[in-house]
Amino acid sequence: MAISKDWFSTTPFQGISIFTAEYYEHIYVSCQRILIAFGIATGLGVPLGLFMGWSRSIRDYIFPVIEVLRPIPILAWVPLSILLLPGFEGPVIFLATLASFFVTTLNAMLGVDSIDEEYFRAAGCLGSSRWDVFKNVVVPGALPFIFTGLQISIGVAWFSLVAAEMVSGDLGLGYLIVDAYMNNVTVPMVIAMITLGFIGYFSSACVRALGDKLMGWHVKELAQQGR
Amino acid sequence: MKEESMAKNTSKTEKKGALSIKNVTKIYDPTGVNVMAVDNCSMEIAGGEVCMIVGPSGCGKTTLLNAIAGFHSITEGSIHLDGELLCGPERPKAEQSAERMVVFQHGALFPWKTLQENVAYGPTVQKALSPSQAMEKSGQMLAEAGLGNFVKKFPGEVSSGMARRAEIVRALINNPKVLLLDEPYRAMDALTKQIMHESLLETYDRTGVTIFFITHDLEEAIFLGDKVHIVTTRPCQLKKTVEVKIPRPRSYETQSSEKFRKLLVEVNDAVHEEAVKAFKAGEREMA
Repeated sequence: MAISKDWFSTTPFQGISIFTAEYYEHIYVSCQRILIAFGIATGLGVPLGLFMGWSRSIRDYIFPVIEVLRPIPILAWVPLSILLLPGFEGPVIFLATLASFFVTTLNAMLGVDSIDEEYFRAAGCLGSSRWDVFKNVVVPGALPFIFTGLQISIGVAWFSLVAAEMVSGDLGLGYLIVDAYMNNVTVPMVIAMITLGFIGYFSSACVRALGDKLMGWHVKELAQQGR
Repeated sequence: MKEESMAKNTSKTEKKGALSIKNVTKIYDPTGVNVMAVDNCSMEIAGGEVCMIVGPSGCGKTTLLNAIAGFHSITEGSIHLDGELLCGPERPKAEQSAERMVVFQHGALFPWKTLQENVAYGPTVQKALSPSQAMEKSGQMLAEAGLGNFVKKFPGEVSSGMARRAEIVRALINNPKVLLLDEPYRAMDALTKQIMHESLLETYDRTGVTIFFITHDLEEAIFLGDKVHIVTTRPCQLKKTVEVKIPRPRSYETQSSEKFRKLLVEVNDAVHEEAVKAFKAGEREMA
């Protein structure tokens, strides 16, 4: 009750409402960080995962490295990232990128693994070069897996971002939660959480929509099966 | 148009696509235990012939097809196409080529391309035609196969019968010497199968391409084939060859003729023995 009263009032008792500029500043900062982190993670992770799925030798070199780094909890990277990267933005974005990157890479690689051998054989029969196979079989074939991975990875990115903001940020929704806690005001805390829920849903929905657009064939195939 | 008349000429004068399989042996090693899939198998397939390979499941017929197509290597023996070596002692694995096109059991049309794009793929990547020319020819050939209204559909949107027909068109647009079919109609209901048979026969009458067709359906084998090679249970060897001297063009009514029934009995006797053996040995199909 108190939450909705404050959230939607022009003079919020505990400082944050949809009418205060501060609210939007925090949202904007967090979203901007997510876009950068997700963008870098996807831009690096998808090609790397695809190459790892496609080439045995690339996988043999890189997969062990990733599998050793992946289990390290993101928050364990906080001190190192603060030491190595300048300012506040650097570490926060780095942590979100890292988490997202591992999920994306792994899913892209597994996506290639999931492609039926017969498609590779058919492409071979039809006279494809290795590059043709990559463009026409590997990339489209792995897309369903990749987009499943992206939905997970954007959630993971948010998770890491908020955690990082709590620890080392100066703005952002994660920071807002911690700041509210420090100042003993619970309403902004809850407002921030609910806001995160909505934004998270919205960003996942965007990824899904993009996936459906790029994979019209998959959507139609599922529709035929009654899904 | 020119290609069609050329193909007709080829089928009448110089029959290309003659396969010579000599003493081929294939030993797999899937789980550390040597499995002999094919043992000293020899057969001659004339150019332009429809050759049916019949045998119980898991007997190694697919291995033979895979060797011709270049998916697997052979351990011993050799395979020649029109006198040229495909695979042999110095080169155990044949190169994959559009000369030997495969139509797969479960269908391997690329799900992410439309039927038209699928069919146009071969000539495009081989640089035999420009992309727009390939798409045009693809649309033409699909229309000839009765799929004109479905060219812009994805494989997931059409019935399995249509998809299989499209896959055959995808193979044929590359003017292959040999068409390799691995139980392509296995997963279809009997009614769709009948239509598929008639469609394939019509295609064969038009193009005269050599067909190497694996099946376990005896009626299908006799209805479609010029020769039926019956192979033994694993390891695969040629047991008996039955010649099907039924004139072409054949139609659905052929199946009730006296000759057809006699051939069916002959083939059935030979296969049944092998089928019982395979059952007792508990053979499992190797992909």
